[in-house]
Amino acid sequence: MTFTDWLRADRLPHIYCAGCGNGTVINCTLNAVDQMGWKKEETVFVSGIGCSSRAPGYIVTDSLHTTHGRALAFATGIKMANPALNIVVFTGDGDLAAIGGNHFIHACRRNIDLTVVCMNNMIYGMTGGQGSPTTPPGALSTTTPYGSEEPAFDLCELAAAAGANYAARWTSYHVKELTHAVLAGLRTPGFSFIEALVQCPTNYGRRNKFRQPLDQVEYFKTHGMLVEKVRRLHEEGREIPPDTIVLGELARRNRPAMGVKR
Amino acid sequence: MKLSIDEKRCKGCNLCTMVCPYRIFRPGKTPNERGIVIPVLDRPERCPNARLQPLYGRTLCGMCQMICPDQAISWVEEKPGEKKKVAIEF
Repeated sequence: MTFTDWLRADRLPHIYCAGCGNGTVINCTLNAVDQMGWKKEETVFVSGIGCSSRAPGYIVTDSLHTTHGRALAFATGIKMANPALNIVVFTGDGDLAAIGGNHFIHACRRNIDLTVVCMNNMIYGMTGGQGSPTTPPGALSTTTPYGSEEPAFDLCELAAAAGANYAARWTSYHVKELTHAVLAGLRTPGFSFIEALVQCPTNYGRRNKFRQPLDQVEYFKTHGMLVEKVRRLHEEGREIPPDTIVLGELARRNRPAMGVKR
Repeated sequence: MKLSIDEKRCKGCNLCTMVCPYRIFRPGKTPNERGIVIPVLDRPERCPNARLQPLYGRTLCGMCQMICPDQAISWVEEKPGEKKKVAIEF
């Protein structure tokens, strides 16, 4: 059995633009879920609103396509009603960090047994390219036409600070590592958060000198740096380039979790 | 076994041309009837997975299948008597 058995073949091809990284993250998540050996009847995929949240529509299991930002609130409800279900939440950066920010930090605080895969494309892709909380400084979008002046949200650090049991960041280029990270998150009891940076050639790349999907994936490849190396460079007092993407496992702890089946 | 691209699903993003260590995928040149330039496969039976997947019972590399955002890449059995392109490699 492979991850392709979890896809609804009659729904494909999906609506994502050519070169969108969301499909890659679906592959990685389904591969990890497949390796867990879960039954399709006992797995639920929950999502909010946005490009990334179309993902459960292409998966054969039961799924919830909920209101904007409230995917984690709905997932909490499912978990409390039936702790035997395995729940994976797909969200985007605008869904999770902007409108659902409080749901996110409180889900981390309660440490509910969920796995959250955040497809961070650094922009509001579906609504036409507005700047989101994770738009990096200097990036152009329709609401930041002179370059974003605000510092971006570091979602993994936020999850770790709010008390999540597992937090990791990978990109859509690092497919094997992302699969392993999702697998580790699924195995961890308690809240596990996996941030996957994805390319958005239509709305982000077009405005930020990544006209081809390959350009932004190449950027992820060249600018990613493992968290161990970043910490080592920091200890040695050496300079870390400002546009570095910190990759790897940023938090793993064993706080008491809520909703774990006994 | 050999690699194949599902022409109904592929959207022509060329991500597979970047990740394949054997450079089996090459950027295509002519659009198909849907107007999408699908990557061309250069001797797709060279993929080590095609040979080793039945032997090991699991997918070994599979980078192209994993990174394909449109779930278009898979391994298919060759038809009997199918013609192959042969080239000498140094």
